[in-house]
Amino acid sequence: MTADGVFNAWFSLMTTVSVLLLVSLGLAVVFGLRRVINLAHGEFIMFGAFATLTATRAGVGLWGAILIAVAVTAAFGLVVELTLIRHLYERPADTMLATWGLSLILVQLADLIYGSVTEGIPTPLSSFGVGDYSMSTYNLVLIGVAWTLAALTWLVMRRTRYGLLTRAAAQNPDMAAGLGVNTRRVATWTFAYGAGLAGAAGAVLAPVVGVIPTMGQLYVARSFMAVIVGGPAFLAGTVGASTALGTVENLVSRGYTPVIGQAMLLVAAIVILRFLPQGLTGGRRRGGLV
Amino acid sequence: MNSRSAGLGDLTVATVAGGVLVLVGNLVADFTAFEWTLWAIQVILALSLVLVWGYCGIFSFGQAAVYGIGGYTYGVFALNIAERTGETLSALVVAAVAGAIFAAALGYFMFYGNLSNVYVAIATLATALVLFAIVNSTAGSAYRIGDAVLGGYNGMTRIPRITYRWPGGDPATLTRVQFFAVCTCVALVLALALRFAGRRPFGRVAAAVRENETRSSLLGYDVRRHKLWVFTLGGAIAGLAGGLYAAWGRFMSPTVFSLKPAALVVIWTLVGGRFSVGGAFVGVVVVEGLSSALGGPSGDREAIVVGALLILIVLGLRGGVIPTLGRLWRDRLRPAVAAADPGSSFRRKPESRPGRDRLEPADAVSVISSDHGSDAQLGGDFEEAVALGIDTDIDAPVEAAGAGALLEVRGVSKRFGGVTALADVTLQFAARQASCIIGPNGAGKSTLFGLLTGHHPVTAGSILLNGEDITRLGPHRRARLGLGIKMQVPSVYGALTTLENLWLAAYAACGDREAAHRRAGQILARLGLTGAVTSPAGSLAHGQLQWLEIGMVLATEPSVILLDEPTAGMTRDETEQTEQLIARLAGHATVVVVEHDMEFVRRLDAPITVLHMGELFTQGSFDELSRDERVLNIYLGRGAEQPGGTGQPAGRGDAEPG
Repeated sequence: MTADGVFNAWFSLMTTVSVLLLVSLGLAVVFGLRRVINLAHGEFIMFGAFATLTATRAGVGLWGAILIAVAVTAAFGLVVELTLIRHLYERPADTMLATWGLSLILVQLADLIYGSVTEGIPTPLSSFGVGDYSMSTYNLVLIGVAWTLAALTWLVMRRTRYGLLTRAAAQNPDMAAGLGVNTRRVATWTFAYGAGLAGAAGAVLAPVVGVIPTMGQLYVARSFMAVIVGGPAFLAGTVGASTALGTVENLVSRGYTPVIGQAMLLVAAIVILRFLPQGLTGGRRRGGLV
Repeated sequence: MNSRSAGLGDLTVATVAGGVLVLVGNLVADFTAFEWTLWAIQVILALSLVLVWGYCGIFSFGQAAVYGIGGYTYGVFALNIAERTGETLSALVVAAVAGAIFAAALGYFMFYGNLSNVYVAIATLATALVLFAIVNSTAGSAYRIGDAVLGGYNGMTRIPRITYRWPGGDPATLTRVQFFAVCTCVALVLALALRFAGRRPFGRVAAAVRENETRSSLLGYDVRRHKLWVFTLGGAIAGLAGGLYAAWGRFMSPTVFSLKPAALVVIWTLVGGRFSVGGAFVGVVVVEGLSSALGGPSGDREAIVVGALLILIVLGLRGGVIPTLGRLWRDRLRPAVAAADPGSSFRRKPESRPGRDRLEPADAVSVISSDHGSDAQLGGDFEEAVALGIDTDIDAPVEAAGAGALLEVRGVSKRFGGVTALADVTLQFAARQASCIIGPNGAGKSTLFGLLTGHHPVTAGSILLNGEDITRLGPHRRARLGLGIKMQVPSVYGALTTLENLWLAAYAACGDREAAHRRAGQILARLGLTGAVTSPAGSLAHGQLQWLEIGMVLATEPSVILLDEPTAGMTRDETEQTEQLIARLAGHATVVVVEHDMEFVRRLDAPITVLHMGELFTQGSFDELSRDERVLNIYLGRGAEQPGGTGQPAGRGDAEPG
């Protein structure tokens, strides 16, 4: 294979991995820190995409629209936490059912408002060439945003007061509360932050995928697999799992079809969990996940 | 009422219901019967979830996906054979088998990978979504199996109806009314079978697995295998329902693998109450009725209705709509009875912790026995035991234990990550004798206990039970070889009755229903828990809970008994009685006690092993050790207290390392 061919393959691989990371980050935060299994995660992504679509239709530029979408989705997450999720902490099965209900409602509402087919947002930026291959410049943006958000989340968790309180509340809520941490408020902000990340994923993906009400279904299974395979150290784990699973998906997709690639992602995830029930980072910190 | 008459009652109800439904099906318009047929098929699907989730606690979101597998399988098979054989009944069988195989394969990875329940839900849902993507992409004539074109997002069309042929006769196709009758009967027969299975050991063990997996495996039940069986059976039922569905609509589309059908199955079951077989019927009719009434003319608001129902149930009506209504009705009707509950000697169970997905006691009783029949029967055995004059005194010799066995630990080490919790420990526990393990916090007691029970794998070394290497065996295999374990925090089936707890323990050992009933009654009497036969174990006071767990261990007739802090939370009286019990047990079995309570250890007067910093520190009698300066130094702190310290020098709650 020529050098440009290698680069092209690598670029394609990076794009798949980064998209997987991008759609998984919000879930990783919400699940990793609050143990909330948000089955409406895909719909938060969809929410971000439609918010971007709506803003661009209203005449806002794409980059502005993306920022608006992130803010709106985070605000929506805040509302969902206050009205629904907060009653369901420590009740994983009920949380799944309630967020599933939310997911069904959101899909149907989007369908009623926007219809089941929508015109997309034109992909901005053009392409760049490497040797004989031409690659989308926007994919560079996707890759950049994904890794920037991962780094940002790491910084927030490790370097800010909020991050410290969040990790404290996640490890031992009673002790944290005993030390004067307002665990409820921390939980609310964590959920909103996760929703914002999901919104960001939907927003930056909006120009390259079909913005339709059922788009969440495309991502929800994959992101869950990435987060679960990641294991207890949620951020490092999700990065590692996105890389592993994204590689499987990308290579199989190139060899066969994208659908087989998606299926192999699931198979790989289930096989990994068969032998590493605690996920990739399970050996680091013992203790059950849910 | 015993279980046989309960079975007869079920049979009567089912026969009458079946007769009425079939008759009505003949009277209504053809199209109405056609619509009702779908409901009957959906009931069958809901029953598969009642079995999997309600009975066994497997939180499957994938029943609709297995239903889809069944439907497509029926379609492919029927399209290929209908012309040749003139019947499609065999395709229905193949659909059920395909559902079972699919569920078994998925279940193997989930259960043998030890995925926790919530992960099972996610894995099943993800599987459904992947199937959706795959089947969706099979459009085009290239994707065909024999004569059957899969059709991708367009769906598979022209699926044959149910056709049968008597030997030598001509092929005949079921009319709509006949098809309705068949589906109704299948649903009722399955419902009967599930009710029956719920009263049999199969259903009871499923409930045990649902309530407490750890305890079940410590009793010797192979939890993973039982879950796999239940899930596979559920897959067969869902596959059969899918086959019927394909024959009903003569069409299969990939949307059967999408989120809404997956959610619907869960909602039917939730509305009817997930533990209730009858609830499957009510749930389907109520939810389908509601969503067609409120879903708008073209059904475009149906998902909103369904989603709102889910949220409402979770927030307001835990345990299901029908059971909640039933509870309200009972509470209105019989407040006086509840107030006069003579359970004064038992602490009322604190409001069940939100969330832990646990049942209301009332639900639990109704699951395991479906009615009061078998409770009464168990109670009857117990009364019989009392009538026979069996001594209810706890001091009566317990003939429980089998032959004493030698437990041996050879050069065992355990590391958690970089932390060495146990280093090269070699110990022998003599046959038919009590031994104590003591040590300050962090000494490795809990780690050693976890290695002996099979909770953790060893890093190095081996463990022998009666000369047999059990180092690599899982907890249930160890239990079957005669290892009985009592955990530090009592681990019982909180939602099941005391008697059911003991029955499950006895059944694990003897595998005989009647013998287990007798044995449970005897142990119950010995433990002096006679007042609590039908109360949920979760409502027992702490000391009684400890005894119940010890009783469960005894019921399995172990040859080696491991007790982790058996007197934790007991009153002085209870502690004394426990001492006597252990002393008597030691005459029959090897008893290993991990304890903090020095007074207890002193009075037990058994050989003591001291662990310190993960190593074997020293061994000896209490008197020897209480004169040993080094032991006093590590245990009491240098010169802090007088020898033979009376209190509890080290705090309770030996934190696990790591």
